[in-house]
Amino acid sequence: MNEERTDRLLSALAHSGRRRMLDLLMEAPGISVKALASHFPISRVAVLKHVQLLEEAELVITKKRGRTRHLYFNAVPIQLLRDRWTTHYSAFFAERMADIKTRVEGRAMDEQESKRA
Amino acid sequence: MPEQPPSVFRVWIDATPEAVWHEITRTDEPIAAFFNNRMHLSGELQPGSRLAMRTGSGKWTGVVGEILEVMPLVRFAHTFKFTAYDDPECTVIYELEPKDGGVQFTLTVENLPVGTKTGKNMSSGGKLIVNTLKRSVETGRPSFGIRMLYVLFKVLEPISPKRCESDNWPIDGSRGTQS
Repeated sequence: MNEERTDRLLSALAHSGRRRMLDLLMEAPGISVKALASHFPISRVAVLKHVQLLEEAELVITKKRGRTRHLYFNAVPIQLLRDRWTTHYSAFFAERMADIKTRVEGRAMDEQESKRA
Repeated sequence: MPEQPPSVFRVWIDATPEAVWHEITRTDEPIAAFFNNRMHLSGELQPGSRLAMRTGSGKWTGVVGEILEVMPLVRFAHTFKFTAYDDPECTVIYELEPKDGGVQFTLTVENLPVGTKTGKNMSSGGKLIVNTLKRSVETGRPSFGIRMLYVLFKVLEPISPKRCESDNWPIDGSRGTQS
């Protein structure tokens, strides 16, 4: 992955709204621009601009069917970024560390919610 | 059976369309991006031909399918069925588009049956396929980790499920050599 592509990828990810868009695309592969825009308090044109940035970073793939543009999340650039700084050895332990973090934090959130209820 | 939405994977490869096309359609050597399996065809690379992805020894077959579309240097599509599962076939489409002096390579997997092992494996395996293809075409070989994984596959070959034996998945007039 060349540096220009990495810059585009990181700059596209450096925005909470765009990260939320990727979450929504993962939850609903093939979602239309209109449906995606309904999740944000900004105009469809503004959403489209963010989608274009994500497309340029290769994080989003657009497939046109009829008059509708369907959006898909592309995990490959993130995998390439991960491959750059991990070996199979470090990935093994880093994955376990990440699993522990997710599980412990999830449990803590569950406990907090049950206390509130 | 209900279907999952398509899975789409895309990567830019610093190579010519010819090099990428050769890598995804070759029958003379194992294809690193296809889990080091070798593609065997029942005839020419054309719609209607049957294909089988077999191990280097030819003894085991992981995937079978039928070629749906061949547009050299642009698009290659075939049906795809894991021999290990009873799941219905899905469709894989490879698309090549010249971009920025290289190739934009897209893999789309359609007709994935919901809740099946095929659906699960193809949703995650696509990333590995396009990544390994990029690395193989750009550097001539897959990454060290993937090479190690393929060594492991070879070691584990004898304990593959019996139903995956190539004798159970013949393709007429196979032109790949099973040595």
